[in-house]
Amino acid sequence: MSDPVLIVGGGPAGLAAAHSLATVGQKSILVEKEDRLGGAPILSGYAKLVPSGEWAKDAIGGMVERVEQSGLVDIKTGVTVSEFSGNPGAFKAKLSDDKSIKASAALLTTGFTHFDSINKPEWGFGTHQDVVTTTQVEQMISSGQGVRCPSDGRKPKRVAILLCVGSRDRQIGREWCSKICCTVSANMAMEIREELPDCHVYIYYMDIRTFGLYETGYYWRSQEEFKVKYIKARIAEVTSDGDKLIVKGEDTLVKRPITIPFDMVVHAIGMDPNMDNLLLSTIFDVGLEPHGFIGKQNAYGALGETSRPGVFVAGSATGPETIDDSIAQGHAAAMSAFAIAQGPMKDAAE
Amino acid sequence: MPIHEEHLIRPENLKTHENLVIDGIDVSGHWSTFIESRVLTNYNEQMEEEIAALPGGEFIHRCWQCGSCTNSCTVNAVNPEFNPRYWIYLIRTGMESELLRDKDIIWQCVSCNKCTYACPRDVAPEGVMKATAHWLELKGHTPKSPSTHFDEVFSEQVIQTGKIEEGRIIRSFFARTKQELMQDWLVEMVKRLVSKLPVTMLMRMGLANVLRPRTKNWGAARDAITEYVDEQNAAHRKALKLDDLVEMAKSEVKPGQAPAE
Repeated sequence: MSDPVLIVGGGPAGLAAAHSLATVGQKSILVEKEDRLGGAPILSGYAKLVPSGEWAKDAIGGMVERVEQSGLVDIKTGVTVSEFSGNPGAFKAKLSDDKSIKASAALLTTGFTHFDSINKPEWGFGTHQDVVTTTQVEQMISSGQGVRCPSDGRKPKRVAILLCVGSRDRQIGREWCSKICCTVSANMAMEIREELPDCHVYIYYMDIRTFGLYETGYYWRSQEEFKVKYIKARIAEVTSDGDKLIVKGEDTLVKRPITIPFDMVVHAIGMDPNMDNLLLSTIFDVGLEPHGFIGKQNAYGALGETSRPGVFVAGSATGPETIDDSIAQGHAAAMSAFAIAQGPMKDAAE
Repeated sequence: MPIHEEHLIRPENLKTHENLVIDGIDVSGHWSTFIESRVLTNYNEQMEEEIAALPGGEFIHRCWQCGSCTNSCTVNAVNPEFNPRYWIYLIRTGMESELLRDKDIIWQCVSCNKCTYACPRDVAPEGVMKATAHWLELKGHTPKSPSTHFDEVFSEQVIQTGKIEEGRIIRSFFARTKQELMQDWLVEMVKRLVSKLPVTMLMRMGLANVLRPRTKNWGAARDAITEYVDEQNAAHRKALKLDDLVEMAKSEVKPGQAPAE
């Protein structure tokens, strides 16, 4: 019997991989640094997911349950990997609780880190209470509290969602598009309009990237059914007149400077490489791609290969990724890890 | 290219003192030129909903500003100031004062509907132009256009009689638009009709003018159409809060009383 597959990170990709391996009878060890499984959707308290519309705690919670109930997944929470050595089929890892484990292959499903809006001080986060992030609004919705201004708990009458906060910005060394924020923001704008029909919701954008089929269900629907307004402008600064937040920028479509009062400003924060990626890169000896995410090898060969044979990667550890695609990549990379775990069979097939 | 193009600096916003000395320095003429702020504060966020409530304006909220309407526009090709994309944006963002700058151009839409077929989001910009012109009229920003007068005269007659009698339409249309009936071209046309048309037809036309024939049993249809038109007009007035405005005007100035503070 081969050694188990080591899965690092218990978010959607890791949970999918563990489930996949269990369905083919392959044992795995799922290491999660936090005290519970679920990853960002659970730990950050996301509300309804795109595109299913299911609550994160139900959808991802179901994946957690499935893995927890499987006899083939050894779950270790509150633990990290501190040393990793060996070769495909025979790796050794030391965990932060000083236990050593053997693994046939490893799968990094280590995810991302939310952009910290404090790094764009001109947009008022940390200065004005009613400037919040998409994550905070997700929590307002998922907690059942509803969308309220943090300063005094009032229902906002005017909300501005600023896109590309922490994305597509050379000033802060983040040149990538975080891929999901347009769709998340359109979804959030609809949720706000649904809860507060009298609230005007404006989205300030440079481009709208509700890619693929999200175009109709999110971008078009938010405009056509929910009357969300899209203004093509990158906001220059968010200040306050003591009463309202004041958003300044240039409305590029009419070539006009804009100064507009809002009750609440939401930063559609992007996806940073996991803040532990340098450490992970050192421990597992895998290369990072230029933006700092974990680098993938040839996309047309084995799925989810890193620069180190036998160590695979899936989900938002590789770059901004949707939950659906993270799950698909988790399943796919599990297949690659399984092939290593079942090493001799591969030779027979050749 | 600089962001602030020259045409955005409107002449009326340029302030220049012919003779001005500040701290002993002569800054007369263009040395003292000052550009007044372009900042708008009077947004009218109701404007989009009001125009959407008028026939043709229903789908304005779908617009994503691609400019297909303006690019395909027949009138824009002749007059670059005619820009449906821009007006839709002003309406959606509530920039009423900017829209009103173009109130005398918007009605020029010729309803060729090229934009209707170019628009990827089915905004039906031609309908929006129609609704916007209608809105401008209802709000009193523009007088009724000649074509509105014509439409009214035409439809009133059809609704009343179930028939169209061209002679009466022309006469009523001229009366409402305060035009002389005895226009050279019309006199000439009537002269030639009289000389060329068969006598029986002339007699029928003459009689129709006097007797005002109606479609048989038209009454029920007339009542139904009238009811519908009244309903529509009432809905439009309500959407634009026109009756509220009238009430407000009434309550503000009562006879024999000073205007309320």
